[in-house]
Amino acid sequence: MTDSIASDPKRRELEELLPFYANGRIAEADRARIEAALASDAELAARLEIIRDDMAETVLLNEHLGAPSPRVLDRLMAGIEAQPRQMPLLARARGDLNNGLAGGFLGWLGGLLAAQSPRRLAYAGAFALALIVLQGAALTGLALRDAGGGYQTASAPGTRASERYVLLSFAPEARAGEIASFFKRFDASVVDGPRANGFFKVRVGDASLSTAEVDAIAARMKAETGIVSFVAASP
Amino acid sequence: MHTESDEDLVKRIASGDRLAMKVLFSRHQVRVYRFVLRLVRDETLAEDVISDVFMDLWRQADRFEARASVATWLLAIARNKAWSLLRKRRDAELDEDYASSIEDESDGPEVVLQKQDKGRAIRACLGRLSAEHREVIDLVYYHETSVEEVARIVGIPENTVKTRLFHARKKLGEMLKAAGIDRGWP
Repeated sequence: MTDSIASDPKRRELEELLPFYANGRIAEADRARIEAALASDAELAARLEIIRDDMAETVLLNEHLGAPSPRVLDRLMAGIEAQPRQMPLLARARGDLNNGLAGGFLGWLGGLLAAQSPRRLAYAGAFALALIVLQGAALTGLALRDAGGGYQTASAPGTRASERYVLLSFAPEARAGEIASFFKRFDASVVDGPRANGFFKVRVGDASLSTAEVDAIAARMKAETGIVSFVAASP
Repeated sequence: MHTESDEDLVKRIASGDRLAMKVLFSRHQVRVYRFVLRLVRDETLAEDVISDVFMDLWRQADRFEARASVATWLLAIARNKAWSLLRKRRDAELDEDYASSIEDESDGPEVVLQKQDKGRAIRACLGRLSAEHREVIDLVYYHETSVEEVARIVGIPENTVKTRLFHARKKLGEMLKAAGIDRGWP
């Protein structure tokens, strides 16, 4: 038997939409077109009846499939308990990288920055720049030291028994230029950091400095309250 | 009574809320399970797949895009896992071992027809469609998905969704016709 619907592109297009008309998931404009066609096309209406029969049997078949056993949820929750939760920021950043989306970590960061005042942003930018400079200096220093031979203590990576250090954190309002000037004045350099708590380990001299002298340097550093918020001699 | 939306539950899951996870699982487990079971035809495997699906949801909840519904998202993950399993099974040439379908229409459509049960004959044929045809039929007829949603779940263009569904329907009609049920098409 010839399929007259298949040979008519307009009717074929409507026919292919019939299943979505039957399940109610169709655009309003398409619904109106189909209803208008059904009113005058008995063949199309017969096709819809076939679809409705098949749909009813498909639902029945699926309903007979039952449900998963309770052990699935138990196993799932046990798996969740056993698995450390990913850091949300890391997951968002990974989502960004994987999907190339505007949301995720970059979206969050954008929202955070948008909520800040221009002055605060300027300070934050300067501080971030200073941290980059410090890290760069630290890396360069480490590279030069490695090239020069010598030894390192096992307990403190990047540090040497022949040097003296302080542990410090910068004041939130410290500016990049001020921090650079601070390091120059004290002839200091970052050897480690920033750590998770925001601290840096800073070299302030060689082994010829006594403990009292290191304490004195730390005290002078601490006096610069606009730049540092914490300073203490460190092994 | 206020019912929290799926999207709100996913937000809670993204922050590590286990109770939200249980609520969302309870809400979707049956449909996802049935979708997978129709593809893999093995209850134990289907349970393994949905367990993996919801574990993925737990891990990736903060990547959820509100452009798709949570149900669509879950079905898409489930579909990928089920097909991955099917491909492995085919590689191992075990597909024929799964001949006893989960629908358990132990009679073929011809035998069913002799028993004068058209509905059972249709269900028997539905169980004998290819996996590609079964999934598109199930998605539209049982899971009530739109063209766009099927396209997203299966990963094919919208026009392909319509033509694949057309061919699945046609195949179903041909199987019924061969069993002695002529519905006038095809």
